[in-house]
Amino acid sequence: MRHPTDGTLRRLVDEPVGVADADREHVASCPVCLAELAAARRDAAMTGSALDVEATPDVDAGWQRLSHAAAVEGRRRRTVAGRWRAALRSPVVAAVGVIALLAGASVAAAADWLQIFRTERIAPVSITQSDLISLPDVSRYGDIRVLEKVDIRRVAGAGAAEQATGLAVPQVSELPQGVIGPPAYQVGSRVSVVFTFSAEQAAIAAGETLPPPAGLDGSRFRLAAGPGVAAVWSEARGVPAMVVARAVAPTAYSSGIPFETARDYLLSLPGLPENVASQLRGFSGDGTTLPVPLPAELVTSSTTDVGGVPATVFTSRDGSMAGVVWVEDGEITAVAGSLSEDEVLSVANGLRWRG
Amino acid sequence: MRGGSAPAVALARTAGRKDGVAVPTRSGSRADLEQVFRATYPRVVAVAARVLGRRDDAEDVAQEVFLAFGRSSVRPGEAVGWLSVASAHTALNHLRSGRHRAARERSAGDGDGVSPDVADAVITRDERRRVRAALTRLPRRQAVALVLRHSGLSYAEVAAALDLSPGSVGTTVRRAEAALRKELNDHASSD
Repeated sequence: MRHPTDGTLRRLVDEPVGVADADREHVASCPVCLAELAAARRDAAMTGSALDVEATPDVDAGWQRLSHAAAVEGRRRRTVAGRWRAALRSPVVAAVGVIALLAGASVAAAADWLQIFRTERIAPVSITQSDLISLPDVSRYGDIRVLEKVDIRRVAGAGAAEQATGLAVPQVSELPQGVIGPPAYQVGSRVSVVFTFSAEQAAIAAGETLPPPAGLDGSRFRLAAGPGVAAVWSEARGVPAMVVARAVAPTAYSSGIPFETARDYLLSLPGLPENVASQLRGFSGDGTTLPVPLPAELVTSSTTDVGGVPATVFTSRDGSMAGVVWVEDGEITAVAGSLSEDEVLSVANGLRWRG
Repeated sequence: MRGGSAPAVALARTAGRKDGVAVPTRSGSRADLEQVFRATYPRVVAVAARVLGRRDDAEDVAQEVFLAFGRSSVRPGEAVGWLSVASAHTALNHLRSGRHRAARERSAGDGDGVSPDVADAVITRDERRRVRAALTRLPRRQAVALVLRHSGLSYAEVAAALDLSPGSVGTTVRRAEAALRKELNDHASSD
């Protein structure tokens, strides 16, 4: 018979019951195998001796320490989850958040920044409420430095909004039934952050120690979005009846590492819910598709076009709300409200832009 | 390197949702955390200690690993394997980054946590240090398999934790031990 493998001989050293009788019998009478077995035994003993350490811990003390640390962390996580929920009420902030999650990211001035992401399309990503809560806080994967803070304020009118943002301000030619009066205008300044990826922090955050791809550790990403302008028509009780908004679409830059490399690595970390990860994985690698997360149990999405440009339509499952969003020339535009899908599309197709 | 750590990801990914157990509580940690901790803490510390050579460093690693476990939805049946693999990886990373070197050097004069009966004359303290350094140079899967086996996990447990066939565990461990032996021999012959 053939000699057993070196793996079988190794198992004979310390778990002989796991080795087949035929192999054991062969080894007992085979000088070649006996010599190999002796070598395996010697190396195993040497290794065991070199690695052995007296390490009987105090379990009670360990548990005290862990429960304290877990309580501290739990408080921090609840705060983070709260921030996420608040942030996700704003689609633009949510989109920025997801890109930050994917690539770190931002908008750049310095010449050594390579553009890795330019919004040209929008794709909805279904996520459930429970996924939202467990979306990893990107700050756990490295350091975030805010270059330009979110600053949203109300301005007097369309002219002031245009002046503040440099963007053409939407003019709705025909308001849907039930939407009345002049809108209030809000403007948001440009927001940008620099994210420095840290392999060590990512490993701790993920509870894994996946070695990151070469060059990712310490890589910097810049993400920028805005400025933006929104025209908001309110109902009597203050709930927006309709919002028409336009903003400079999010753009991400990297100090070197390709977008796909960073994305794929972050996707491989276990913090991201599998259903979200698999949908994100389906995006084209060209770095132009902006994923917008949607609470799957509340909203459905489909595609359409607005003036010949591909657009994504969102409708709430209870039929109370609808929205449409599209990207053209680096600007993202959205129409949404307590309206039907037909109504938002009618408004979207009838938009005129000042300026 | 990537291959060595993939199984832990697979474990984490597939965990939890199907059978509905091990759902994190509102406070963000699992309801079964204390039970799993009490049952497995000594083993998780032992795994890290094999790599780091010191119990206090190993306890630091184990704490880190259990915090991550508390956030996870790893199935209870897979907890020991997941924790052991995570402990080995985390300890190897610490060893590689040299985070514990200063502490080791500081206490070099007052013993290194080795019990007298295993610190026999055959393996000197210097050789122990070299073996640990060599661990970080092994392919990650070999290093993890080696450490898990020497921490008392059975061949079947190592196979399950690393997504290896039981037959190849012996081969992987044998290869790692041969590499460590070679490190010591090479060093000895170059003296």
